[in-house]
This record gives sequence, structure tokens and C-alpha cells, in this order.
Amino acid sequence: MAPGSKSAEPELRRSVTPWGSFSWGYSDVGADIFVGLGLVLAWAAGASNVAFLFAGVVYVCIGLAYTELAATYPVAGGGQYFVMRGLGDIFGFIAGWAVLLDFTIDVTLFAWTSVDYTSQLVPALTNSVHPWLHFGVVLGLVVGLCLLNVIGVRESTTFNGVVSALDVISETCILCFGFLFAFRPQLLVHTMQIHWPSSYDLMLGTSLAIISFVGLESISQAAQETQRPASIIPRTSVALILTILIFALAYSNLALGLHPWHPIADAHGHPQQFWQIFPNNPDNQGKAVALLAAQVPFYGAFAALYVPVLGAVLLLISSNSGVFGSSRIAYAMSASNLLPSLFARVDRRYRTPVISIVFFSVIAVVELIFAAAPALFPAVSSLYARFFHGENGLDFLADLYAFGAATSYSFVFLGLIGLRLTDPLSPRKFKIPLNLPMRFRGERVEFPLVAVIGFIGIFSILMFTLFTHPLGRIFGPTWLVLGLLFYLVYRRYRRLPVLRSQPRDWRNAQTEILRRAGELELMDEYVANVKASDARRAGQGT
Amino acid sequence: MLFFRALLAVAMVVCGLVILVRMALVLPAGGFAILPGVVLGGAMIALGVHRLSLIARVRGML
Repeated sequence: MAPGSKSAEPELRRSVTPWGSFSWGYSDVGADIFVGLGLVLAWAAGASNVAFLFAGVVYVCIGLAYTELAATYPVAGGGQYFVMRGLGDIFGFIAGWAVLLDFTIDVTLFAWTSVDYTSQLVPALTNSVHPWLHFGVVLGLVVGLCLLNVIGVRESTTFNGVVSALDVISETCILCFGFLFAFRPQLLVHTMQIHWPSSYDLMLGTSLAIISFVGLESISQAAQETQRPASIIPRTSVALILTILIFALAYSNLALGLHPWHPIADAHGHPQQFWQIFPNNPDNQGKAVALLAAQVPFYGAFAALYVPVLGAVLLLISSNSGVFGSSRIAYAMSASNLLPSLFARVDRRYRTPVISIVFFSVIAVVELIFAAAPALFPAVSSLYARFFHGENGLDFLADLYAFGAATSYSFVFLGLIGLRLTDPLSPRKFKIPLNLPMRFRGERVEFPLVAVIGFIGIFSILMFTLFTHPLGRIFGPTWLVLGLLFYLVYRRYRRLPVLRSQPRDWRNAQTEILRRAGELELMDEYVANVKASDARRAGQGT
Repeated sequence: MLFFRALLAVAMVVCGLVILVRMALVLPAGGFAILPGVVLGGAMIALGVHRLSLIARVRGML
């Protein structure tokens, strides 16, 4: 339940350690590079590292914003809660609905690429060779994850921690061997100068690069289950943000400046650079990290065997977090009266939000059908080629993923600015840097300049997405408009304010949040701030 | 365990420095093209230093 609403809620146990908090975030965001690398290399070509750099800078701003918000308001609602509290109910709904789109895409996209990575060892699963088998396995994974979540089986924090640790070690080894034995700075510079893409492709690549940094919702998800979140979250988040940024930049630089261990040739036998195997080849795009690992001298012989398995497992964990996360966000939105109470209904037998899980899993399956249709039916393929620039299934999913992320993150930046102005009394143990002191409604506030920079960055990525993704341009806004109509009808039916916000006692809610988090010093500081502010206002009144 | 973590953090800083130096060597030919590599090196050094500072705090050295 989101604080500020009326109904009671059983509390989540706060048992997540600093490493648990890191691995929780890493298993969500860390898997993204397995998907994003191939797509970005395919479009941004010689400027792939620049695309990752631009998206990475925006991501650092987003990460810092989430860190501040999650440490200040350690509740599991995530972006929609921050936006609802900072800007109001309707904007909270839009942000939450965009996050829900991302979670449903997350389920399909990561199950899809999990199968792509497996196809490196089991070629029968290659989409272009056996599209129906590929579709069937992905569908089976989505349905399987839905059932596991319905009966209440979740991946354990320990399992997440082990897989995350293995992946960090593995990626570090791949990059170390790669940079030591196969990286040629001169080749990188040459590639960037000769194969610089068109502005359109660079925008497209940049909008796809942001999908390598999606999943920061997990920071706030972890915040509710972490002890002393105001202290722990900033520590783990900064490490998480830098680790993910380093991997994304390192992979893209390495891919462009890689001297392959085994010579790569095109269909005519001409030698190719490593990154050139990705354009117009969706099969390769879906398993880029495994292909790169195999080309790293010495270590590649070993990495070629386990990286597809490790990638598939990590992607499957991420896919599961989509099923679990969507039901949890819907639950939080429902408790805040942004969605019908149906989504918060817990099944008596399994004690899980079955309706919510099944509803969003069905949406994930619909998205899968749209994504797989061009490969399954030649007639649909020609339709896509005619109206959607011939986008394939992976592009379709990536389009919507980028759209949902850019939309929700844009609102989170605005929510952060709103909260800095309207809630200056909440103690912030972590603040994003570069703040402008000013006065707002009689209170001393600090205006976050980084949030403005981040908003401009993510909004431009949203514009790139709308401009360069024919499918994302249609289906993304359609998702938002349908959701908004649903919201308006629901709020009217419930006789709640439709465009305005429901009155809530945020002061008591904040005290309760800090008490539950075990941040008693911060709670005392908050209560003292409130009393001092009230006394100041009373003094001004007389 | 803390010792290994510190070792990893130092390795991270060294790797960052190596990347920075290698990118600096191609500066005359690369120009703007070396920027992502420079940021990568910088980020690796920042992460290494961040982890070392956390370890130092745990050991009561800060």
C-alpha cells in the first residue's frame, strides 16, 4: 500500500543487505546490456560508444535522482509514487502506466533474448531458422513465469546475488582480456571516423542505448525491504550506477575497436570488423555479448561455453522481475486509487495478486504475438515492411521499452523537482549534486540543476524514440491514451477527483515511512522540521 | 574478503589509468573520438576510488 492511502497493509520484512540491494538492482539493470549492445551496434555503427555515452550520462542523472528519492521516500511504489507525490495523481498514473508498459515489455523482451542466447548453444532455437519453435519457447517461458508468480514462487535474493556475482566476475574477465589482448585504440578511432552513422541512425541508436539502463525502479523496490535505506541505498546505488555505466561503455568501445580472435568474413569472403555482424541480422543482435565474449583471445574459448548460459539465466531473472514488478506496481497504484482495487486483490489460496499477474502477463503475450508476427507470417512481414520500415520483432519490443522508460523517467525528473519545492522539510541524507538555493512559498529550498539536465536528456531521447521508431510512435502513445481513458472513467466512477489529486496527509505518511524504515533519527529530524516550519508560519501570521 | 575487494578496487583504478593512457596516445589522430574511452577510464577510476573509500570507512580509516 502506498502511504497516504487508507487501507491497512502487511509490512514487507526488511531483510535485504547492502550486497542484496546491489544484486537486486544489478540483476535488473545488468541484464540490459545483453539486449542493448547488439541493437545499438546495428544502428549506431561507428558511433555506438557515443550513443552509449549520451544515454549513460542521462542514466547517471536518472540513477542519482532515484537514489535521492528512494533514500528519502523508501517505499516500493517507485516512480509512480514519487511522481504522484510531487506532481499529483494524474501524472503519477501516467508515470506508473508507462512503467507498467516497460514491465510487460520486459517480460517478453528478456524471455525472447534469453532464448536468443540459448540459441548460441542450441542452434535449433534460432528465430530465423525455426520461428515457430522460437515463438513457442518464448511463449512457454512467459506462461511459466506467470504460473510461478501466481503460486508465489520467487527467485531468492541469494540466487540473485550468486548470479549477479558470477556475471560481474565474468564480464570483468571478458573486458580485461578483451582490452588487454584484442583492443586496438587506432581501430576504434578509425571505425568512428569511417563508419559514423547518419543523424537518423545515430538518434535511433541513442534511443535504443537507453534500454541498456532500464530497471532503476528496482532501487526503490529494494528500498522498502532494506534496513536503514537512507544510509544503505546511496552507497549501493552509486556502485550500481558506475558498474552498469562502465560495462556499457566498455562493451561498446571494445566492440568497435576489437581485433577478432577468429577472422570474421561476410558472405563473399571479405574480412569484416566485429561490429559489422550486427546490422540487418536480428539473430546476432539478440546475443551480442555471447558473440563478443567468443572473440576475446584465450578467455573466449571458455567464455563461448558459459556466457550464453549465464546470459540466458540473467535475462530470465530479469524477465521474471517484469512479471513480479508489474503486479507490485499495479498493487501500489491500486492502493493509491490510481487503478481499481481489483489489481490489489490477493488470492486466498496462493496469497498473491493473481488477477494483476495474469492481466499483465496476457498483455506480455499480446506484445509477443505482435513481435513474432513478421517472422511467423510472411504476409505480416510485408505489412511491417510497408508501414513500419520493416522493423522486426526485437525492434518492436525495444521501441516500446525505450518509449516506456523515457516517458516514466521524464516524469520522475519532474517529480523530483516538484518534491524539492513542495516537500523541503523531508530530510535528504543523499542529495544529487549541483543545487541552486532559493525560496519557495516561504521555505528555503534547493533547486536541482542535475534534474533539469537529466530531464532535457531523457526528453530528447523520448523525442528520438518518437521520431525514429515507427512502431513505438504508434503503440507507445496508444498505450498511454488507452490507460488515461481508463483512469478517467475509473476516477469518475469512484467519484474521486478526476483531474485533481485526492487529498492526502503526506506529513503523517512521511513520519510513518521513516518509522517503518527504522530511520528514527531522520523521523525525529522530520518532525522537528515540521514543528519549526509551523511555528515560523504561525509567527508570520501574527 | 575485504582484502580481495580492495585488490579488485585497486585493479579497477589501474585498468582505468591504462585505458586513459592508451586513449591519450591516440589523441592526435582521434580527437573527439577518444571521448567515450576517456569517460570509460574516468568511470573505472571513480568506481575504484568509491569502493576503496567504502572499504576505508569500514576499516575505520576515514
